[in-house]
Amino acid sequence: MNTVSIVETATQVVLVIAVAPVLTGVMRQIRARLEGRAGAGLLQPWRDVRKLMRRQPTSPVGSGWVFRMAPLVLFATAAVISAAVPLLTTATALTRSADLLVVVGLLALGTVTLALAALDTGTAFGGMGASREMMVLALAEPTILLGVFALSARAGSTNLGTIVTATLHQPLRVLSPASLLAAAAMTVVVIAETGRLPVDNPSTHLELTMIHEAMVLEYSGADLGLIELASSLRLTVLLGLMASLFAPWGIAGATFAALPLAALAFLAKVTVLAAALATGEVFLAKLRLFRVPELLAGSFVLAMLAVATSFLLA
Amino acid sequence: METLLLIAPVAAPLAAAAACGAAGWRRITAALGVVAALLMLADATALALRVTRSGPVVAAGGLLRADALSAWMLLVVATVATLACWASPGYLAAGSDTGHRTRWYGVLLHLFISAMAVAILASNLGLFWVAIEATTIVTAFLVGHHRTPTALEAAWKYVVICSSAIAIAFLGTVLLYYTARHAGLEGSRALDWATLSASAHLLDPGVTRIAVGLAVIGFGAKAGLVPLHAWLPDAHSQAPAPVSALMSGVLLSVAFYAVLRIKIIADVALGPAFLRTLLLVLAISTLSVAAVLLIGQRDYKRMLAYSSMEHIGLMTVGAATGSRLAIAAVLLHIAGHGLAKTVAFLGSGHILHHHGNSSDVAAVRGLATRIPLLGGAFGLAMLALLGFPPAAVFASELGIARAGSAAGFGWAIAGAFGLALLAFVALAVRTGAMLLGTAPADAGGAAVHAPRFGFAAAAPLITGLALVSALGVTTWPVQRLLTAAAAIVGAR
Amino acid sequence: MNDTTYVQALNVAGGLFLLAAVGMLSRRQITSMIRLFAVQGVALVALVAVLGVHQHSLELMGVAAGLGVLRVGVLPHLTRRALGAAPAERRETSSAVNIAGSLLASAALVLLAYAVTRPLIALTPSAATAVLPVTVSVVLIGLFALATRHNALSQVVGFLLLDNGITATAFLATSGVPIIVELGVSFDVLLVVVVLQVLTVRLRSTFGTTNLDGLRELRD
Repeated sequence: MNTVSIVETATQVVLVIAVAPVLTGVMRQIRARLEGRAGAGLLQPWRDVRKLMRRQPTSPVGSGWVFRMAPLVLFATAAVISAAVPLLTTATALTRSADLLVVVGLLALGTVTLALAALDTGTAFGGMGASREMMVLALAEPTILLGVFALSARAGSTNLGTIVTATLHQPLRVLSPASLLAAAAMTVVVIAETGRLPVDNPSTHLELTMIHEAMVLEYSGADLGLIELASSLRLTVLLGLMASLFAPWGIAGATFAALPLAALAFLAKVTVLAAALATGEVFLAKLRLFRVPELLAGSFVLAMLAVATSFLLA
Repeated sequence: METLLLIAPVAAPLAAAAACGAAGWRRITAALGVVAALLMLADATALALRVTRSGPVVAAGGLLRADALSAWMLLVVATVATLACWASPGYLAAGSDTGHRTRWYGVLLHLFISAMAVAILASNLGLFWVAIEATTIVTAFLVGHHRTPTALEAAWKYVVICSSAIAIAFLGTVLLYYTARHAGLEGSRALDWATLSASAHLLDPGVTRIAVGLAVIGFGAKAGLVPLHAWLPDAHSQAPAPVSALMSGVLLSVAFYAVLRIKIIADVALGPAFLRTLLLVLAISTLSVAAVLLIGQRDYKRMLAYSSMEHIGLMTVGAATGSRLAIAAVLLHIAGHGLAKTVAFLGSGHILHHHGNSSDVAAVRGLATRIPLLGGAFGLAMLALLGFPPAAVFASELGIARAGSAAGFGWAIAGAFGLALLAFVALAVRTGAMLLGTAPADAGGAAVHAPRFGFAAAAPLITGLALVSALGVTTWPVQRLLTAAAAIVGAR
Repeated sequence: MNDTTYVQALNVAGGLFLLAAVGMLSRRQITSMIRLFAVQGVALVALVAVLGVHQHSLELMGVAAGLGVLRVGVLPHLTRRALGAAPAERRETSSAVNIAGSLLASAALVLLAYAVTRPLIALTPSAATAVLPVTVSVVLIGLFALATRHNALSQVVGFLLLDNGITATAFLATSGVPIIVELGVSFDVLLVVVVLQVLTVRLRSTFGTTNLDGLRELRD
């Protein structure tokens, strides 16, 4: 925990929080252009957050402290993850605690808190959104654990920093069957965790098709602003994690000098991934809800195969 | 000479099949069929004499081979085939099939017999497998001969379950080939029964265990052993009676013959304990399923099918014991059960025709008073199956029990025969209900279109009964063959 | 072909082989199942061809070509013909285990296969036998599909999957069984599919559907 690492971590957190809504803006803009609309501009999400922060939040009658706490917990966990995961540098201040289980646990904590808050509102849509989100979470969590575990088998440790460093030293491992299968499984899980098509439509206004949106239906004002920011942050962090695990070139070590280059590399990789995701969304339709477990079970099988392959094939 | 001895049992039924295909099912082609079966019987006798005198016979470039065990099986198959071909014209005449269908019946029946002959005489596990799969394919359409919905359902289940089971057996074969090649055997010799038995001590135990387990489950399913037995009652009850007789009487035994041959290899490679435990578990499970499902049985053809399962279970207990006495008893049981079951099924075919094609036990009453010849034949066949002397089944069951107790498996024998007793009671009650009592007044109407059951129709049944009784009194003509065959499989 | 290319080619072919099988379990439509079966046939041919090139065996290449004709061409064609023109049949009407459950079960079966094939690999460790767990898991997946699917043609596809797996195992373990046995086996499989096709047509004309759920006449 020396000065270098503290500065690097701080830079990483600030950059990621600053970039997250812009990334969401990029995705919305690409979708808009491909659909023949003008779009609202890249900075619209930041303008939305600014507007929401100035408003007074309200809570439904009968809701308690869970409802008020959830946006804070969600944002806090997302911020901690953004500090722990190796995005710009593999030597963050929290690098020794940046274990796979910790990161997955923090992600789950955020989601579960939001689901509890949705239940706390006492409305029908809140309960519906919470139960659907839990169904998706139950199948997505094991997959993400297995997927990163498959990668950790080669590196010899479940610490994310160690895995990324190991991949940096042996770049050809990215093309091994275990790695490709894990990448496929993780793509599906990232889409499920962040609520993108084809699992959930983030821009839907039909309550019966919502999963994530149904949970935040009752939020307003600063609470909603925090939740929107936290969602963008989680998306950016997960996309950044995918980039670091499977294409870690440009990531900095424990020195200052490589930091600007690392920042640029990170921005480039994350933008490419976001653009690909947005383009895919234009052509995909949302899956019917009973098909979502099939998709997630399929990704679970791929992750299982990745683990088996990484242990049993040289 | 040897080539002729080994090719004839395969070629004669093939020729009969060709004749049926060319000329359709007529009296002359049916007679040709019986002649072919008699030729097969004569050949089997000659082979038996040759083998007991001078050891195994090889021909066709090493593809076909006959030792005492194959000769015994061939004798049984040929006898049952003769009876079935003899009874076929009477059965088909009483039915209402078109010329096209009877032609197919003739062709497939003889192809079936030929395939079984190939299976018995195959020197090579691969060729054996191909022949067994061929029997499944050929009998598929025989089972569905009557084109009723139930027959179709039975045919579908039969093909799917048996083909999958045989595929599992093929995986076992492949693994056995793998370990044999690793032990140094070359090319097709690595699948040869005799070579494998001789070099069994060189095979790797780990892989051989998996291979033997798969092969026993796969071929055992074709023999009617649990867990893949679900096809048996359906297929045997829906097929035409002569085909059921062949399937129940000998096809099960041919699949069981594979298990015996594998036992020779497994006992040397893995020690006797592995297969003994596996076979005992399978046997007791099969006996339990058969006994329990016989209790509430309302269809007499299904009843006969479950009785076959029960007998295969008893044979498996004998095979598990493994001593020479046990194996000799098992082989005698194969013969006795084959003959008695054939007579029972042929009789059931006639009963079916006399009761408006209903196979319900409740529909048959007072058979002994209405059609004494048929009732008597069927009754005596059932008594033989139940294990009454002088049928051979009595001697073989006694032999299995004695051998089992002598080898120290008293508990297993007690359990097995307890379940057999359960089956005995169920069968006896059903048969009694069918045969005894006064004839109902209105039964005449159903029998209007069935031909009278005269001596011509009864002849195959009476012959079968005579043979099974003769075998039960003494095995003198075939004693040396039986001992030689038991010596091949059984341990001292 | 040098060693690393050989190993990688074997792994890719084996991986495609297994993924095609898992993919078949995740499909509802029978036409896409048959298409994936054809893809698996291509993977099988690739596997055998790689073995043939590595061992410089012309015979193996010939067998690979024959396998290709049979399993990529003839068998899918026959199965598609059995499907016939009935559009309602193209969807799976029911299965004993739903698709998500089937996929999870297939993951378990892959693990089971890895456990079971350890003695096989230990006998002759080599790059070819290292792919054995994959082919054995395809066998297990085929058995699972056969046991849980209710539509007649899905059962046929499950049986073909089983057979593909066993053939691949034979080639990986021992570079194939003797040629006469291989011919006999291929011929038998072809005949079984023909028989099943004829029976499917009869089933459809007798019962009006190939969903075997309704076949409950024969039971105790």
